Amino acid sequence: MRFDDMRLLIREQIEYRELLVQMVRRDLLLRYKQTIMGFGWAIFMPLVNTAIFSLVFMRVAPIDTGLPYPLYAYCGLLAWNFMASSLRFGVVSLTSNTSLVTKIYFPREIFPFAAVFVALVDAAIGSLVLIGLMAWYGVWGGPAILLLPVVVAVHVMFTAGIALLLAMSHLFYRDVKYLFDVVVSVAMFATSVVYPVERVGGVLGQVLAMNPLNAIIDAYRAVLLRGTAPAPGPFLAAAVISVMLLCVAWMVFHRGELAFAEHI
Amino acid sequence: MAATGVLFDGVWKKFQRGERHDSLRDLIPALVKRAVGAGPRTSELQEAEFWAVRDVSFEVQPGQALGIIGPNGAGKSTVLKLLNRILAPTRGRCEIRGRVGALIEVAAGFHPDLTGRENVYLQGAILHMKRTEIARRFDEIVEFAGLCEFIDTPVKRYSSGMNARLGFSIAAHLQPDVLLIDEVLSVGDMGFQQRCVDRMSEFKRQGASIVFVSHNLQAVAGLCERALFLHREVRAMGPSPEVIEQYVRTADTPRAPAGARAVEITRTEVLDASGRQIVMAPASAALTLRVSYRVHRAVEDLLFGFLAYRSSDRLPVYDANFGSEEMRLGALAPGDEFTIDFRFRANLARGQYHLGCHVYDRRTQEYTDRLCPSGILTIDESRTYAGIANLDVAPSIAT
Repeated sequence: MRFDDMRLLIREQIEYRELLVQMVRRDLLLRYKQTIMGFGWAIFMPLVNTAIFSLVFMRVAPIDTGLPYPLYAYCGLLAWNFMASSLRFGVVSLTSNTSLVTKIYFPREIFPFAAVFVALVDAAIGSLVLIGLMAWYGVWGGPAILLLPVVVAVHVMFTAGIALLLAMSHLFYRDVKYLFDVVVSVAMFATSVVYPVERVGGVLGQVLAMNPLNAIIDAYRAVLLRGTAPAPGPFLAAAVISVMLLCVAWMVFHRGELAFAEHI
Repeated sequence: MAATGVLFDGVWKKFQRGERHDSLRDLIPALVKRAVGAGPRTSELQEAEFWAVRDVSFEVQPGQALGIIGPNGAGKSTVLKLLNRILAPTRGRCEIRGRVGALIEVAAGFHPDLTGRENVYLQGAILHMKRTEIARRFDEIVEFAGLCEFIDTPVKRYSSGMNARLGFSIAAHLQPDVLLIDEVLSVGDMGFQQRCVDRMSEFKRQGASIVFVSHNLQAVAGLCERALFLHREVRAMGPSPEVIEQYVRTADTPRAPAGARAVEITRTEVLDASGRQIVMAPASAALTLRVSYRVHRAVEDLLFGFLAYRSSDRLPVYDANFGSEEMRLGALAPGDEFTIDFRFRANLARGQYHLGCHVYDRRTQEYTDRLCPSGILTIDESRTYAGIANLDVAPSIAT
């Protein structure tokens, strides 16, 4: 990997930043116009899931998370949903814009990146409910919240890296979308979204603990709810992985870019 | 190469015929095959591949326009896509310096559910215009498209013409160093088309390099001083009128095989009043299309057609038949040869015209032969601005 290339890619992205903004705007605007609930959907889904999992993990099989369970679950689901919906739209972002990909030149990364930022806006809206829940339960992490931008940045980089790879591979092989749907629903339970995966125990538990997403999602809970810094070891590892993933994915994407129009 | 402009240097582009593997099911066998010994991919042709563009080179300097003409499937759009960095050349080098404006599928970025206004900003950003730049020229864009009252209507309610007009208008308000144009003149009414042409000439005057792909040969001749006749490879390149003539000569309908022709057209010439063969004539010149025929089967009752149409858009200018009895041509036997002089007056406005001729057997009710073009005629005249007929208008002050 060459740093010059990476610099070039980032510079081009900065040059086209207004297009990224317009693409994000387009998708948000469309959702607002095409649906009655509009941005309500950003809140609705994590809320429904929180209710379901609260029922399971508070009544059926109670677990101790050190936090009020609905708060634990909503925070995890909000972070998870950001990633899942980024990728869900990211995976088809190139293939659903065929006419643009085959007709007009601009950096193709814009498509998956726009998907990520749209989901980020949704997450920001969803976090209003989180604030409400925090007030309700009287949970407040204190000054640790200053670390939130770092956590978000790491999470966004990780997500963007995967979105690039998925969008590109789906363009070449249309199986990817179906595969993705399966993987994403399994992955949620392999990550500390609605329960701490440490509790799985045994070899499987150890394997699951290596998932860098655990560190990221737990980091949200740490800085927002527990008032502590993220666990340094795992979070730093996750950060390094995220940066590297984004760089490698971006370079791979860029290499493949010129074949897109022929293969879409 | 100048700071801006277009360079196409020995470019080859390979495409694949037929299906590619699109799903993982096909990928795995393909990967295995490649690993086992198909060897690395090269720029050589493999099975089911073909060269869509072969060894094409050209250069366009600032303030110049190059027209690319050729039949469908000749690789014209591929060349534009290569220039526009949508495709990568298999071999060769393809460079563009400066800001690129592409009038290709001008409405590609439009979303039907967004209003005209929202789409202007979106499409503008896709074309790499700054938001402030779009905002500044917004009124101009809308006015040029002639959509002032519909600008807050969702684009899905637009007619296809309105759609294309808005798209073109956005692209036309970009300030490009290099302008790539693909067949946009087919949209909009006459007034709008004229505005498009004017706009493109204006870009040229301002120093943009233009590459113009079109089937509208008249428009190519009007905008571009040079043209490239492309058919997978460069067939001809040079001054537009010459290249267009060469293209038009090859582009016409194939004749029936010689054996099938009862009466064959063997030779055609365009002559001026003094009998010299010509390709260019002043307006209203007295000319002759001399056609020689050879008879292969016994025939009588024939019709000899003479027709003329404008080269650029095939607009018929004249089409008439003359019966054999009119010319006192009796029954014909195999081996007979004869020549007809179609004398005519070229009452035509400036431009390029095709002359054609055919022979029709009234008995069998079929064409025994046709040849089009049998001659190409350029009318050299500078009075008219547009049109086809020379009405010999002579204004004078009435007393």
